[in-house]
Amino acid sequence: MSSEPMLSVRGVHRRFRTGPTVVHALNGVSFDVAAGSMVALVGRSGSGKTTLLNVIGGLDRPDAGTVHVDGTDVTALDEDGLSRLRREKVSYVFQSFGLIPVLSAAENVAAPLRMARVAPTERERRVELLLELIGLADHARQRPAELSGGQQQRVAIARALAASPQLLLADEPTGQLDAETGLSVMALLRGIVESEGVTVLVSTHDAVMMALADRVIRIHDGHLDEQAAGQPYAPAPDAR
Amino acid sequence: MRLVSRRARAQWPLLAALLGVVTIGATVLGTCTLLVTRTAERALEVAVARAAPSAVDVTVYTGTVEGRDTPSVAADTRTVVASTLAPFPVTTTARASTVLRALPPGLATGTTVPAQAYLSGLDDLPARSELVTGRWPQHPGDAVLLESTAQLLGLTPGRRVRLGAELAHAPVPPIDVLVVGVVRPLPARGWDRDPLATAGSAAGYRDGRFMQPVNAYGPFLVDLADLVTTGATVDRMEVTAHPDLSHSNRHDLETVVEAVDGVDRRLAGTLGDRVQLARVASELPATLRSADDQRHVTAAAVLAIAVLGGVLAATALVLAGRLTTGIRADETALRSALGASRRQLAATATVEAGFVAAVAAALAIPASSALHAGLTHLPPLDGAGLTVRPAVVGAQVLAVVGGALVLAAVLIVLAIRPVPAASDQRTRRELLARSGADLMLAVFAAAGWWQLYAQPTDASPRADAVRMLAPALLLTAGAALALRVVLPALRGADRLAYRARGLAFPLAVAEAARRPQAVAAGLLVGLACAAGTFGLAFDDTWHQSQRDQAALAVGTDLALTLSTAPVAGDGAVLSAATAGAVSPALDRGTAVGQWLGSAGDAPRLVAVDTTRADALLRGRLDNDRGWADVGATLAPPTRVNGLAVPAGAPLVLSGTAAGDTPPVVTPRLMLQDATGLRTACTGPAVPLDGREFRLPACATADGLRLVAVALPVTADAGGGPVAVAVTLTVPPAGPAEDPTDGSDWTATSAPPIPSRLRDPTVMVSATPTGTTLRMAATVDLGGVEDAARTLVATAFPDPGPVPVAVSARFASEVGVESGSQLSVTVGITPVPVVVTEVVPAVPSAPGAVAVLADLDTLSRARAVTGDLTFPVDAWWVGHPAGPGAAERATALHLGAVATREAETARLIGGPLLAGLPAALRLIVPAAALLLLAGVVLHVTCDLQARAVEVTRLRGLGMSRRGIRAVLLGQHAGVLLPVLAAGAAVGALATRVVAPLLVRSETGAAPVPATQAHWPWPAEAALLAVLLAGCMLAVAVVVTVQVRRADATHLRVAP
Repeated sequence: MSSEPMLSVRGVHRRFRTGPTVVHALNGVSFDVAAGSMVALVGRSGSGKTTLLNVIGGLDRPDAGTVHVDGTDVTALDEDGLSRLRREKVSYVFQSFGLIPVLSAAENVAAPLRMARVAPTERERRVELLLELIGLADHARQRPAELSGGQQQRVAIARALAASPQLLLADEPTGQLDAETGLSVMALLRGIVESEGVTVLVSTHDAVMMALADRVIRIHDGHLDEQAAGQPYAPAPDAR
Repeated sequence: MRLVSRRARAQWPLLAALLGVVTIGATVLGTCTLLVTRTAERALEVAVARAAPSAVDVTVYTGTVEGRDTPSVAADTRTVVASTLAPFPVTTTARASTVLRALPPGLATGTTVPAQAYLSGLDDLPARSELVTGRWPQHPGDAVLLESTAQLLGLTPGRRVRLGAELAHAPVPPIDVLVVGVVRPLPARGWDRDPLATAGSAAGYRDGRFMQPVNAYGPFLVDLADLVTTGATVDRMEVTAHPDLSHSNRHDLETVVEAVDGVDRRLAGTLGDRVQLARVASELPATLRSADDQRHVTAAAVLAIAVLGGVLAATALVLAGRLTTGIRADETALRSALGASRRQLAATATVEAGFVAAVAAALAIPASSALHAGLTHLPPLDGAGLTVRPAVVGAQVLAVVGGALVLAAVLIVLAIRPVPAASDQRTRRELLARSGADLMLAVFAAAGWWQLYAQPTDASPRADAVRMLAPALLLTAGAALALRVVLPALRGADRLAYRARGLAFPLAVAEAARRPQAVAAGLLVGLACAAGTFGLAFDDTWHQSQRDQAALAVGTDLALTLSTAPVAGDGAVLSAATAGAVSPALDRGTAVGQWLGSAGDAPRLVAVDTTRADALLRGRLDNDRGWADVGATLAPPTRVNGLAVPAGAPLVLSGTAAGDTPPVVTPRLMLQDATGLRTACTGPAVPLDGREFRLPACATADGLRLVAVALPVTADAGGGPVAVAVTLTVPPAGPAEDPTDGSDWTATSAPPIPSRLRDPTVMVSATPTGTTLRMAATVDLGGVEDAARTLVATAFPDPGPVPVAVSARFASEVGVESGSQLSVTVGITPVPVVVTEVVPAVPSAPGAVAVLADLDTLSRARAVTGDLTFPVDAWWVGHPAGPGAAERATALHLGAVATREAETARLIGGPLLAGLPAALRLIVPAAALLLLAGVVLHVTCDLQARAVEVTRLRGLGMSRRGIRAVLLGQHAGVLLPVLAAGAAVGALATRVVAPLLVRSETGAAPVPATQAHWPWPAEAALLAVLLAGCMLAVAVVVTVQVRRADATHLRVAP
């Protein structure tokens, strides 16, 4: 494991204005994530988890503060640089899977490889491997609507891994899954951290997921409050 | 209401789109309604106001009025006619001619036949004639003469003439007239109704009052008021009333037509036995019926366009409604979950739809009035005099409100139908329903096409449902079926696209091919594109058909129908005026053998100089033939040369014959001018006693050539065969001329009994005094005195059967083909003809049983039979130079001028026909507007529904540029093939339907048959505009949506 953190977030502020109201989604958030670790980001709805992930992935820009991914200052990148960052270093797994409805499972997994203009032979080999990895090799030609929620999320994870990212951002990946399916997805993510060495930052409410994480960062009202890895999730004192 | 109100505020762009579509649809309906009501009514009034006087005048002819009754008959006739045409102001003109009266013995000498003359009274003489010398009549007893009459009688201004007793009536005092002037009749001023048709004299005239023919002269033209007080018996009197219809309306016109229909009875009751005959003639009822027919023909086509506009609007609304329903699916599901019943959902939808309908109607009524008024200020309506100010009429309000309500009902139905599954996959039931609908559309469309195809070719002006619905049905079915082709094509492209290495292109194609909602706007886009392209092509097809009909109806570029017999040199004058190719033309009824044709539909014979057929003849031919090709089969192999005759030079005739009592010849000469016009000149009876006789100046113009001589030989006493020799000496024309002309002079004995004149010969030789034409034959003088024994010498041989081209209808009805030999009668001379060509129609005789021949050849065939009259009814001019050729030709006062250009303008821009092109100009932009509105609506809804998906593409690392490319590619991937399919449907509909929709102004199938026209430049421009507009709209929406595709969507997304 490198001494340099894979992710470094420093003094990030993000405010949203809704009419006359200003919401401080992130309020001076700072933390580091070591490479090859799995960090759980927990907090109640509206606490700023998704905003933080979006800022880290460059989908959103902070009002202040910096984000470094593998030494790259994300906040300094222009639009093309951010797109390149997401193609090469950062991958997303969305709560509602985010698969492209018109593409089959295999085609969804191949999407990042196509963006990276990987040669067709290599692309097909890698898609096959990834589908086998997630146990959906037999469902390669099925479209998302023909897959179950768990299967879709596994495809989403496979797609996220396709471009060999260094950082995987997962936004409540088990939020729409039943407990059993959620568990298998969590196990898959943990396995990927172990086998691929990918750094995973996952926002979750799930205690099991927190238990699988190397570290848990709690966020409430835009502030961070770190707790020990493997500790059961405890709501913040002010959480209702 | 609160929900509707709040939703309207929240979803105002969507509501505005729905309102826009309903408003556009209702506006199109309202505008079309105004075109078929307000404009049509106005067109009728304008058409009647612009009609030629002959089309609306009412003329009363009365016959044989005793002198004492003449003033009262004239006054009563005017009163009856004026009251018949009330409430329109009327101007009346009258003319009357007396019965024949004896001329003084000193006039018209040299004949033993009684010389008679008549007076004519006209109350607008200066408007009908041109004063050549002297003055107009001013006092009772003043008279003017036509040039011809004055010349024949040797009368000049200042001479007094006593017209004696009327031969057939009780003695009345003679009438003394003072000749005060000489006039020249103006064409188209009613001189055709002069008893002698302005010929000035007629030998052997029979007017039914005498057993014996007389030599008639006249008219002595006096003021009408003067004539009716002379006490002379009036042979014929006509009173013509011209109504001023410039401020007419339909009700008054119908009232007048009814009155005209019954005026005969009223007139008979009023005039009683003061007249022997009273008859009313008027084209007014027929003119109104014809105008009404044209109005209905136009209305049927405009209604077809309106239906198409309505279907387009409904299609756009269905799309908008479906998109709206999709966007509100969550809301509807929530309300259902909260316990809202279907009735409550319907009530909400009804309130909203009612609001949309009310606002749309409120907008569409003034909009359609303004649009209609705007259209009337554009060609062709402004040129047709149909310009109006914006106004609202009841029918328009009904159409707009009805249309808006029907369209609103579509919204309600869509709102209350079960919400389709969120899935992109169509259910089997939906697919079956779609297939069934497509099949039904196809069946209806096929039935509509068959009905159109099988419609009768005769006049049927009334609008019928098939003609109104067929275009919309065919286009809708075509667009629906074309979509069926587009989807597999997209899927094929999808398979190919996935071989690409990148993501953007295959993803765009996959989105287009695999997402059923991607082609949700396909039907609207395809239908609108089909309607637009069809509208353009139909417009072009209709215009071309009108041009074809005009070309065939006139037959040439400029036709001058003669009002008086032409004279040598007229052609040169016309040629100088028009700078075109000029030819005399024959255009009249004929008999084919003994067959006179169907009732009122006599075979037509048209003959012109076919050596210049390409320049002269107009009208579309088939099989890539040109008129030059047809003319080549009709034209004579060589031109006639003939002997040059100097202008004014006296020709000298002398002859000898054996026997004590020399027979007599009455020479008839045929001279030809440079334009091919042949004029006949008849000399006095010349005894063949060896003396020379000067013939009157036949050569009245420069450049004439003698081409035929006919010498009927008569003898007072009978006898046996006598050898006769006749010499005609033509003075020398000049050193440049070949005295003997090089022509193949031929002598024949004219029918019907050529054996009475045997061994005819002719020889041309040059002498110091000129060129002599020596003719000889042996004549059998036995039998009756006036038996035909005519020696004919012609500068050409007998042409044999005249080659003719016959119309397809002629070939069909007479049962002939190329090579068939027939006989057609020209005048009273049967001419053998041989069919060399069958053409679709003969120029100037559209749809008629008609024959086209070369006038020269026809004249030759008649000449060799001794008939030297040249049958000519008109001048035809090809390629006249300059726009003022018609005016210059008219100024020559040779006859009525018709031009292909003017006829085309009448058929295209006439008030009763201009509504259709105006409606077509409406449907094309309306289709484009609805198409663009549909595309914007569809793309907006599509992108709004997929906002999260678009943002997630960014999450995958796709740049905004890449996402824009995917979305643009997706929509272009759908729009391009759908637009292409729509254009193909438009082209197909143009090919199979447009020719069937075009009708002539009478409602019959046009002649020549309409050919579909596809205006490539205009169509390409329209497609480019549609494509550019679509892509611009898509690009704008995509750019805005992609810019908005930020993390906000991810934060609020489930």
